[in-house]
Amino acid sequence: MIDFTLIFRILVFPGFTFIVLLTLFCDWVERKIEARIQNRVGPMVAGPAGILQPLADFIKLLTKEDIEPRDAKKTIFKFAPLLAFTIMIFALFFLPVDGTNIFSTGGFSGDLIVILAFSTIANFLLFLAGWASCNPYGTIGSARVLTQFLGYDIPLFLIALTPAFIAGSLSIAAISAYQASHLLPFIVLAPWAFVLFLIAIQAELEKDPFDVPHSESELVGGLETEFTGAKLAFLHLTRDVQIVFGSALVVELFLGGPNGPVFFGIPWFWYTLWFVLKLLAVVLISEYITTVFARFRIDQVLSGNWRILLPAALLSLMLTVALVTWVYPLVV
Amino acid sequence: MSNNKIDILSVVASKLGNRVQIQPGYLSTGTIIAQNGLHRNVLKTMIDADEKTGITAITGLDFGENLGVYYHVHTSNAFVTIKAEVPKDNPKIQTIIDLHPGAVFHELEVADLLGVVFEGHPTSGHFVLSENWPDGVYPLRKNVKANEVKLVPTPKSEEITLPENERLVKIIIGPQHPALLEPEKFAVTVDGEIVTKVEPRIGYVHRGIEKATESRTYLQDVYLVERICGICNSIHAAGFVECVEKIAKIEVPPRAKYLRVIALELNRLHSHLLTLGHAGLEIGYETLFQYFWRDREPIMDLIELTSGNRVYSSLMTIGGVRRDIKDTDIPKIKTTLKDLRGKLPFYRQVYENEPSLKLRMKNVGVLKRADALKLSVVGPVARGSGVDVDVRKDEPYEAYAEIPFKEIVYTTGDTWARMNVRMDEVEESINIIEYAIDNLPSGQFRIITPRSVPAGEAVNRVEAPRGELFYYVRSNGTDMPDRVKVRTPTFANIPAFLKTAIGESIADVPANFVSLDPCFSCTDR
Amino acid sequence: MVKKSRISPIFRRAASHIFTKPATTQYPFVKPQLPDDARCKTVYEVTSCNVIDIGTGQKDGPTLDVRSITGSNCRVCVRDCPAAAIEIVEVEGKKRPQIRFDKCIFCHQCVESCPRGAIKSSIFYELATTDKCALIQKPHPNSKETKS
Repeated sequence: MIDFTLIFRILVFPGFTFIVLLTLFCDWVERKIEARIQNRVGPMVAGPAGILQPLADFIKLLTKEDIEPRDAKKTIFKFAPLLAFTIMIFALFFLPVDGTNIFSTGGFSGDLIVILAFSTIANFLLFLAGWASCNPYGTIGSARVLTQFLGYDIPLFLIALTPAFIAGSLSIAAISAYQASHLLPFIVLAPWAFVLFLIAIQAELEKDPFDVPHSESELVGGLETEFTGAKLAFLHLTRDVQIVFGSALVVELFLGGPNGPVFFGIPWFWYTLWFVLKLLAVVLISEYITTVFARFRIDQVLSGNWRILLPAALLSLMLTVALVTWVYPLVV
Repeated sequence: MSNNKIDILSVVASKLGNRVQIQPGYLSTGTIIAQNGLHRNVLKTMIDADEKTGITAITGLDFGENLGVYYHVHTSNAFVTIKAEVPKDNPKIQTIIDLHPGAVFHELEVADLLGVVFEGHPTSGHFVLSENWPDGVYPLRKNVKANEVKLVPTPKSEEITLPENERLVKIIIGPQHPALLEPEKFAVTVDGEIVTKVEPRIGYVHRGIEKATESRTYLQDVYLVERICGICNSIHAAGFVECVEKIAKIEVPPRAKYLRVIALELNRLHSHLLTLGHAGLEIGYETLFQYFWRDREPIMDLIELTSGNRVYSSLMTIGGVRRDIKDTDIPKIKTTLKDLRGKLPFYRQVYENEPSLKLRMKNVGVLKRADALKLSVVGPVARGSGVDVDVRKDEPYEAYAEIPFKEIVYTTGDTWARMNVRMDEVEESINIIEYAIDNLPSGQFRIITPRSVPAGEAVNRVEAPRGELFYYVRSNGTDMPDRVKVRTPTFANIPAFLKTAIGESIADVPANFVSLDPCFSCTDR
Repeated sequence: MVKKSRISPIFRRAASHIFTKPATTQYPFVKPQLPDDARCKTVYEVTSCNVIDIGTGQKDGPTLDVRSITGSNCRVCVRDCPAAAIEIVEVEGKKRPQIRFDKCIFCHQCVESCPRGAIKSSIFYELATTDKCALIQKPHPNSKETKS
């Protein structure tokens, strides 16, 4: 028996098409916010107020010539961008967007760890892609990607455990359900973890001030140097999907997920709407931080991770455990 | 900074008076004719007497049978030219790089373009000319016509000398690189992340402008010389025009001098705002870049209002300026400058308090005062390291002697100090323009001069936004110059970058590099 | 991290900019206002010019002092142009200067040098074209002014 509902959910809503359209929309929002902060206009011409600009960029890249360097490792070079894109989208399938996740189940215990692992694998594939292009700038850029995301993964995992502790479960659906049932998003219960998580996500997504792997003034194109045409289109799209993924994670873990007031009894519409609104709020904050800071040097990024963020993550975890054991059962 | 002024000519006269010929008062402070290697003795005497002695430029000339090598030396209060000549069939002269390391680039250029061999200074390969220029053909010699030279095919693979130690890695920055505005190549040798050596290769933008000036009239050369650089164009025109006026003994009316000052300071304003924005871009601070360039746009509109064009103002001409300021424009100029002055405190506070900017800029690219003096750096790079050289104060030209302004000096010598020097100079330029507009003398703004210039030679130094710009013009009585020599400030500052990059992380190279404000069109001419 | 003595003002400024009007002039929908004497395309007035054929009139001919022009072979614009963008061509029997705008640097030295003011400046600046021949401005012999 073919389950048409499942196929519809995977392919159209809230699956593949919805995620891709949401990614392009978030890209437009980012560019507009960055432009307005810098006192200029941003995309204006493609579509009303430039909303079709990210789609136009994607299509333009698809029409360009696909050049492969002679010395590049062919298989990894060809498939790594597409594979990374697929894995990121698959990781997004587990996040409840319209009340439940794609597979209409309540998730399984431990799916928080699984999707963080998927994100790590996707980043690793990006590193391999840059490494396989056999270009000095690509090699240095991908080495920096590796050091940065592997370093920041550790505090990220630790801080992501904070909501899990408070909710008492490692399942994302359970975490957002806890916030809904107690009417208290974790940003109120654990604000220190929220701030630290934002910083860690900023570094994972390689946005300013942790922008080193993409810095044009030092590395030309970083790991993207040798990619052209369709592969570059998918690399850019992967990066944008990563931004949506990171922001969605913040929304689920700290802002209460898709839960919010429901009117007129169409739950999936309202859940999606609240999810998208909270996502845009996180994107706004993240883009503001990106625009306002300069770029750190690679050694400052690394020393910031090992000397500041990791101890802070451990402290935050200890604080949360203490609060959960002794304080919250009395209050919440 | 000595309080008692040293009379350098009498010091030289007392030590070497009977062996060299001294002409006081000719070509600025004086000229010393020294043959047979005595130029080294003269230079050593001057260096021993005054610590601020440095080489501004080395001009090579073609006299037919001999080649002239003129050393233009600046001290704390004098500007002296040491003239030497070598025969063309045996053009050997002793080097001075052991006395003054800042002369390395100048000697390499004269060797490349004129074929003078500097004994003790080995040159390998071309310095300014490209790889497919034939050996033995020296373009600045009079018998060589540039469009008749046959280029040799480019050598198959450029030999990249790998470092001896296995641990060292050679990273080549350029010629095409997003960090560089114009193409130049820097081969940086790193040990892990620390830079150990930088080898430059310049000459990618060499257009042969000095040779081109010899086949155009003086009036056409004003426009040609202006196009050496796109950013500091007015100051090139001003330097050339003042030099020609010195040869022809033309006295420019006072109103023209004030109008020239206004044009030059507007040029300095837009150049400094450009650099401050570009520095933001290099360290990844795009927002600051956009803000600075947004505030630069009204200045470009002002330049268009006063001269007719946003970039190439072309206001200078021999005998004055080409057009006058209209009284109806003056309120708009004053309003724009007042707005810009009101925006400066915001930028100063950002530089003081922004943590990520300070992390990238403080203690990066430190140039100590002693090194700055030895390498004779100029401009904000020198003033950021505690060396107070500013041609507008040391040897005032145009109307700068009558206009009060401060000279900005910081002592820490890092990137942050250099950027602050430029920011404070923006405010000083606004002060100068407002004073000049309020005290504009009446009268003519231009006098008509004859087209041909009497025979003679002159030197001239002006203060470009990037440092001291030097012109030497030699005329032979016709309406085309015999030799024009330009020494641009970035040419003098690149050796400083080679020194400051060593010992620091390679990730600091872009920030360090942009703080010396490189303009490679100027460097290569 | 560096200890902050004061908060950098850029945080507030960046946030407030989201609500302020952008500083962009949206050319080509909005055209900028140029001052009247901006140096744009030059316009040539035929009736005032006075070129007579007395020879080849090459650039390195005898030096002319502009004050001594009395009406014979002028060609000062040709001699003074830094980019060699003006050349004398024959149009219906008369010799006239032809300005090539793909070589012109818009310095307006020709406007200054012409003793009869036959070359005037204008503020027409949208010269971009897909055909290079359109940039060579041939003088029309019978009209007062050539079309700009």
